[in-house]
Amino acid sequence: MSAAPIEARALGKSYGISPVLRDVTFNVEAGQSVAIVGANGAGKSTLIRLLAGLAAPSAGAALLFGEPSRALAPALRRRLGLLSHQSMLYPNLTARENLEFFATLYEVENPEAAAREWLERVALGAAAGTRVRGFSRGTEQRLALARALIGRPDVLMLDEPFAALDAEGAAMTAALIREAMARGCAVLASAHSANTLADIGFAVHVLSRGRLVPAEYPGSPQGMVRPAAVRQVS
Amino acid sequence: MIAAFTAVVRKDLMLEARGGQSTTALVALSLLVLVVLVFAFDPGGGEQGRAAAAGALWVALVFSGMLGATRAIAAEHENGCIRALLLSPLDRAALYAAKLGAAFIFMALAEAAAIVLMVLFFNLQFDVRTMRLVPAVMLGALGFAALATLLAGISSRVRGGDLILPLLAVPMFVPALIAGVKASAMALGGAPLAELATWIKVLVAFDVMFVAAGYLLFEYVALEE
Repeated sequence: MSAAPIEARALGKSYGISPVLRDVTFNVEAGQSVAIVGANGAGKSTLIRLLAGLAAPSAGAALLFGEPSRALAPALRRRLGLLSHQSMLYPNLTARENLEFFATLYEVENPEAAAREWLERVALGAAAGTRVRGFSRGTEQRLALARALIGRPDVLMLDEPFAALDAEGAAMTAALIREAMARGCAVLASAHSANTLADIGFAVHVLSRGRLVPAEYPGSPQGMVRPAAVRQVS
Repeated sequence: MIAAFTAVVRKDLMLEARGGQSTTALVALSLLVLVVLVFAFDPGGGEQGRAAAAGALWVALVFSGMLGATRAIAAEHENGCIRALLLSPLDRAALYAAKLGAAFIFMALAEAAAIVLMVLFFNLQFDVRTMRLVPAVMLGALGFAALATLLAGISSRVRGGDLILPLLAVPMFVPALIAGVKASAMALGGAPLAELATWIKVLVAFDVMFVAAGYLLFEYVALEE
């Protein structure tokens, strides 16, 4: 049986003596989508950084395609797309130049054509020649999503994908995420609230103080999770 | 991989051409160092003047190299772009090589300007002796770029990294610095390249060592703990 594209096994992370994540275990199969929701400081971004291989776990294992994410081979890194808090876009390059650059890194066949296509898909065709430094936060977020998707990843990780987006941007983001799910991408997203993600088919796990907790737990913020959309964590 | 390597170098050159901050700062710093030292030493002509000129040139190289390396890595940390590079399929050793290549180009341009300023401020001549400086200076620029690019990967992730980079880089660069100053002083004194061979070999050995070290270790220093 092939390994799940995304897998956390008893994953833990501490900075000094402060534990940020403790004993987190879950996986995301191809075509599945999982949302990790939690309050500020719950460990959501740390979890995504560990799974993306950007930080080393203190305990347990963070696996992508069955391999430790920290030591992923280039061929497997090509199958990963990440949307982070930071846009990971060069401020002094234009939108088109950023996408062409990353398309080249991800060995896309025709980087220029791919950049044009994705600029249109995130409704930034008119801003292709504008430097990212001049973008609003929401516009930069849309371009960052295009950057994450331009390599047609098989694993997509999204850290608060709807942050800073207006209604149009949120709808566009949701449509692109659905499209990735439909072509078999394993999608992991984090958010403060599960509502939007649950609406597009995400199964929801709740992270509290570094641990995955049962979906409805004492003291959960009002309106944070719709009980019907939540999978009980065993 | 060649396409990705080329893309990183081209990107760095494009950013520098747009901003111009690093190269301008490198040239300005070289000018400042040379002006201060020429008035501090008041060398006049002769052997003392040539030795002072060689020393001033290498002081300018070290200071401008540190500034350039710091700025180059800082640019990658803006918006978290270094993470995007580390996540990409680009081999991390190739990423180091690309960053080194761009850093070397910037340093080479700054050093070319510094050589011109040195000749002017120290009342030297643009002749074959000045040309004999080039191998030592270019090898020194390559070695310092290799060292600084690797160390900047460490210093950018720690508190007080701006202080750590010079504290680490300068002592480690001393062997190449000595060799470079000696070779440069001899070149300005009219010695043929064959007489500079010993010092050139030290520079070559330094370059090989730190380019190899960076190539092997960059991945480990660039990733977060």
